[in-house]
Amino acid sequence: MNNLRQIAAELLNTGKVNAIVGYVPVDGTSRTKPFIATKPEEVEKFVINQNILNNLSVYLTKDEVKKNFKKIGIIAKGCDIKSIIALIQENQIQRDNIVIIGIKCSGVYADFEETRIADKCVNCEVMEPHLFDYLVEMENGSVLAGEDQKIKIIRQIETMNAEERWDFFENEFSRCIKCYACRQVCPMCYCERCIVDKAIPRWIESSAHKRGNFAWNLVRAFHLSGRCVGCGECERVCPMDIPLSLLNRKMIMVTQEEFNYKSGMDLNTPTLIGSYDLKDNEEFIE
Amino acid sequence: MKSSSNKSNSMEEKYITQAKLQELCNELMENNFDVFIPRQYGYQKLNKGEDFTIDNSLKPTKSSFKDLVFPKAEPILYYKKNKSEVEIIDPKPNGRTKIILGAKPCDAKSISIMSKVFNWDYKDEFFNVRANNTLIVGILCNFVDEFCFCTSVGLSPKSTEGSDLFLIPVDGGYGVKIVSERGNEFYQKYSNYFTAGDEKQIKDSEAKVKEPEVTFEPEQVRRWIGENFENNYWNTVGTLCLGCAQCAFVCPVCHCFDIVDEDYCYTEGRRMKNWDACQFEIFTLHASGHNPRNDQNKRYRQRISHKFKYYPDKFNEILCTGCGRCSRGCPVSIDIKKIVSDINSFAQS
Amino acid sequence: MNKDNFEPKIVAFVCNWCTYTGADLAGTSRMKYKPNVRMIKLPCTGRIDPLFILKAFERGADGVLVSGCHPGDCHYNAGNFHARRRWIMFRKLLDFLGIDDSRIHFSWVSASEGKKFVDVVNGFTDKVKARGPFTRFKKLNEEFVINE
Repeated sequence: MNNLRQIAAELLNTGKVNAIVGYVPVDGTSRTKPFIATKPEEVEKFVINQNILNNLSVYLTKDEVKKNFKKIGIIAKGCDIKSIIALIQENQIQRDNIVIIGIKCSGVYADFEETRIADKCVNCEVMEPHLFDYLVEMENGSVLAGEDQKIKIIRQIETMNAEERWDFFENEFSRCIKCYACRQVCPMCYCERCIVDKAIPRWIESSAHKRGNFAWNLVRAFHLSGRCVGCGECERVCPMDIPLSLLNRKMIMVTQEEFNYKSGMDLNTPTLIGSYDLKDNEEFIE
Repeated sequence: MKSSSNKSNSMEEKYITQAKLQELCNELMENNFDVFIPRQYGYQKLNKGEDFTIDNSLKPTKSSFKDLVFPKAEPILYYKKNKSEVEIIDPKPNGRTKIILGAKPCDAKSISIMSKVFNWDYKDEFFNVRANNTLIVGILCNFVDEFCFCTSVGLSPKSTEGSDLFLIPVDGGYGVKIVSERGNEFYQKYSNYFTAGDEKQIKDSEAKVKEPEVTFEPEQVRRWIGENFENNYWNTVGTLCLGCAQCAFVCPVCHCFDIVDEDYCYTEGRRMKNWDACQFEIFTLHASGHNPRNDQNKRYRQRISHKFKYYPDKFNEILCTGCGRCSRGCPVSIDIKKIVSDINSFAQS
Repeated sequence: MNKDNFEPKIVAFVCNWCTYTGADLAGTSRMKYKPNVRMIKLPCTGRIDPLFILKAFERGADGVLVSGCHPGDCHYNAGNFHARRRWIMFRKLLDFLGIDDSRIHFSWVSASEGKKFVDVVNGFTDKVKARGPFTRFKKLNEEFVINE
């Protein structure tokens, strides 16, 4: 822990960064929340434990942060680093403007109630981060055991026929209230003007009725295909508990199967949708 | 129309067993009324013959019953075009009687608070028809966590404000307080399900509630906000906010809305009234491109000011019931109680 | 609705340089094909935003056909390569949600393949007709009924 605070304080002291984004505890609870430290003494508050659920890389895309801080340090788990790499792949941030303090992670809880391990952690391949400037250990980190619930549900849906699948998703999406928490918390949703906010023409209805909800969730899943890194934040923040990660993880599986591509692993690979291959599969095209 | 806390006038307390409550709900559903109870996502409709229990020691539902009186998406007019003629059709607002069973005091008060703005310069028929046909059966609350603050905004876990009838869990069933005129009418109609109440049992239950600690004085907060629009504190408050509308949409009393037109096809369509939130970036975006609230700090300042100053100034009601849903659900754990308590301490120094 | 009388509404998004011209050729050669298809001409399949396909279904299409130039023949060099990649993903996403191959179809039809265009349209129309109307999507529209 002291290691982290030392590193962070030094970065701020030497001016290598103007701010560091990290996790601080919420008093009186086991929760943590994001915090942007701009002065060296503020780094005393930082913690790294198994409740650091947030994906802080979303702040790297926020105007207020970009405007005020030229160089930013970020404390990130492996999954968050995947988001950072995905953002660099898409030219949203420059590698030179960020300092990554990577965490050797043993997994985080699915929610602040500490009931079970997050589904994304079960088969994680970046518990030891793949890109970082500094590396620190998670305090009291014991690898949590658990099952990936989402994969099971995805497999189940794959056995359903078209009508059943439609019914399942129509039912889930009907609860949507169009709060756009999923969009706001997602690092890859950085569009200045989201398609749902465009009124002329109205592509996706902003109303929270079945048709508008279906369109929104389908289009968001499509706009994330090939880009989503599977951090699971969208599902964690949804106030109506809609299983958004089913869609996003299914698309991650599809991009792996069809293109052998995983978003957020390598800085130098071109993005999936932004490029093409002459040998892409076209068996389904008549 | 609406209920008011009428403690001095309430008749002796009544009593109803869980089984009788179940039967009463079945009869209500037979009479074509809808009964809603707190469940996983919010208040959901009970099905005929369905068994239920209301556990008042659970935390508030993730979202409130606001959707039942102020729907998340509601058509306010339909249009049909026929060559150059346009026919406007007014929908009839849904006046089906709804009974909300098991509303904690922080939820029960919401309709009476919102009804002030919906009957201010314009009487919103859509809201009024629904609210007038909704009976609120409140329940004593046995839950408290670090996000609750009903006592700071003038409520409490045993407050009957906003309820028409109020349940207090006792052995085998519930003590029942009749709070409002409407509650009394309801009771008279279905009095065969109720028996006389035991005042001592009820007082015992009430004494056992855990009240959240009072952390601020609304008057002080209101005064400070009025005098400190440009205070630098606001630049620290909204920095981490992501600008989603989770807080506004799960809130029992946030009521901003957006009007949009949608079409079915070239000749038919409708005008919708949808939930909106001041936390969205485009909420104050003008057609010229200018946005007076162009960063999250300004937007968050608006939220706090509206709830704790502007609304109380206009309507003498705080636009907050202290339920804590916004803070519990916030993706980045922004705690409204902490912010308002901070303001309170500034006000006092 | 009588299944035998059901005539599907099919929306076809086609590229101007190949498929649209191919369809023209079918027309000028007086080849007959099923009249259920409504064509929407775009400069290139690369212009096809999956939102168009979604909107077509939203507004009552029972099936959507998407067609363009053969790979390597794109008038704009690489438009159809980008489109092809998009379709691979969009198709899988739609399939996961319950809109399968019987509702959406992709093809390469060049400017000289009038006969192929006829075959594609006829084949797909039959497929959609056998599948039936896309009632589930239409039902999403019926959430609010006039004069409830």
